[in-house]
Amino acid sequence: MTTAAIETPPAKCWPEDGITRVPAWIYSDPDIYAREMQTFHYGKTWNFVGLDCEVPEPGSFKRSWVGERPVIMVRDHDGTINVVENRCAHRGSLICWETRGKARDLSCPYHHWSYDLKGNLMGLPFLRGAQGKGGMPRGFDKSQHGLTRLRVAVRGGTVWATYSEDTLSFEEYTGPEILERLDRLVSRRPLRLVGYSRQMVKSNWKLYWENSRDPYHATLMHPFLSTFGILRTDGDYHSVPLEGGKHEYTYSQFDPELRNRTSEASQQIKSISNDLKIQDTEVVTSVIDEFNDGMMGAFQLFPTVLVQQYFNCLVVRHMIPKGPGAHELAWTYFGYADDDEKMRELRLKQSNLVGPAGFVSLEDSEVLSLMQPVVESRPDSQQVLEMGGHGTGAQSTMMTETLIRAFYEFYRREMKL
Amino acid sequence: MTDWTRVADEGDVTEGEPFPTEIDGVEIALYRMEGDILAMGDICTHEHVRLSTGWFEDGRIECPLHQSCFEVRTGKCVPGGPAWQDVPVYAVKIKDGEIYVKASS
Ligand code: FES
Ligand code: FES
Ligand SMILES: [Fe+2]
Repeated sequence: MTTAAIETPPAKCWPEDGITRVPAWIYSDPDIYAREMQTFHYGKTWNFVGLDCEVPEPGSFKRSWVGERPVIMVRDHDGTINVVENRCAHRGSLICWETRGKARDLSCPYHHWSYDLKGNLMGLPFLRGAQGKGGMPRGFDKSQHGLTRLRVAVRGGTVWATYSEDTLSFEEYTGPEILERLDRLVSRRPLRLVGYSRQMVKSNWKLYWENSRDPYHATLMHPFLSTFGILRTDGDYHSVPLEGGKHEYTYSQFDPELRNRTSEASQQIKSISNDLKIQDTEVVTSVIDEFNDGMMGAFQLFPTVLVQQYFNCLVVRHMIPKGPGAHELAWTYFGYADDDEKMRELRLKQSNLVGPAGFVSLEDSEVLSLMQPVVESRPDSQQVLEMGGHGTGAQSTMMTETLIRAFYEFYRREMKL
Repeated sequence: MTDWTRVADEGDVTEGEPFPTEIDGVEIALYRMEGDILAMGDICTHEHVRLSTGWFEDGRIECPLHQSCFEVRTGKCVPGGPAWQDVPVYAVKIKDGEIYVKASS
């Protein structure tokens, strides 16, 4: 019998050309997705859950997610921060429905089982039944029915959680370079919450993960960047994969002269349209070099966040997977407790740069949402990653896909693909 | 102001059985214990529920909802449950076989 070749599902086998190719089935295959969650988010990784300034007092809580699982980050009566699953140990109801708030304990709305802020089951209604009837068996042991509690790491003002007992210490997990960059932003001064944006992106989480490792597209797809001299192909730029491709960082020295210069490279880029105008130029011109290093950049801490500094806008992009074809982006903008009025206003103003409608980020989620059905329609197709060669080393250019190749080197190793 | 209120006959309150009642809308419960009649606030300090519907044993009332325990003689909250505040107790006197409680504790 001759069955048509086109009906054969693509073999789940990585293309022969290695990391210069990415097979499109990894963006839609449910088995791959399930394995990613087990291997990464529920495995030996540290996942971002929030900032300590979001839970300022004992009893303050915030809902968050680890992979697809809802969790609660809560400050205990003694000031430590706990992360527990937002899933009742009785029959699995969502316990906490509010985004943020304050509580003495955690109580499930379904049958009112009540837990302390560590997730220990303290009591349940009608344990002894009513009028001598019903109730729990005598041997029911409350201590065996608490909420699932995650291991927590606090670094500066950031809070991380892991399901695995075997995850390395947070510092070993990040490695020294990421730790240094994280500390630069979150450990020197107490943090202040500036605000949130949230959006659903109808694409596989890896498309966004790649996107923030892709400086090649930045000046091409985001005309705002090149027009206002934030990032240009003729500026200083470094793309640095870390820890075997697991993390990465990119940075540039901010050059205030750049926007007055027209170089050969910038003239070649079609998307630099010089008739773009901005009403309030403070968004791009007013920069306080608050770290005294003239540096601007971002880094990825696998598998959940891109932490970014755009001038004086500081933001965590939290990628929360929602099935193979969707993810949520939760943007948390922060500053410092001792920011003065001027800085507060500047951070607010510059927060317009990023977010769902950000001047330099709105194109990303749009392109990726339109891309998802395309990759789903051709699971047998392949992405080409040859910008900057075939390697995975650090490169001092934006014209490279080295960070994405490095990621897939890591990914294949972990996923055994 | 001596606001003793008659709440029950002495025979109404039996050993081992809480007796719920109220004074001007304030829920209280009477207990007979070691020969005494005791009066205690009847609302749990965790959530709003009548304690007298719970489990009374060894001088303690256990809340029916989440098992916080209170000493009925003192109103003291026993650590270990979700409640952390005591409930009020009230003075009791017996005259001519009738029970009076002083509502302002
Ligand atoms: S599901 Fe939470 S109490 Fe029953
Ligand atoms: S209502 Fe009494 S312990 Fe919760
Ligand atoms: Fe982008």
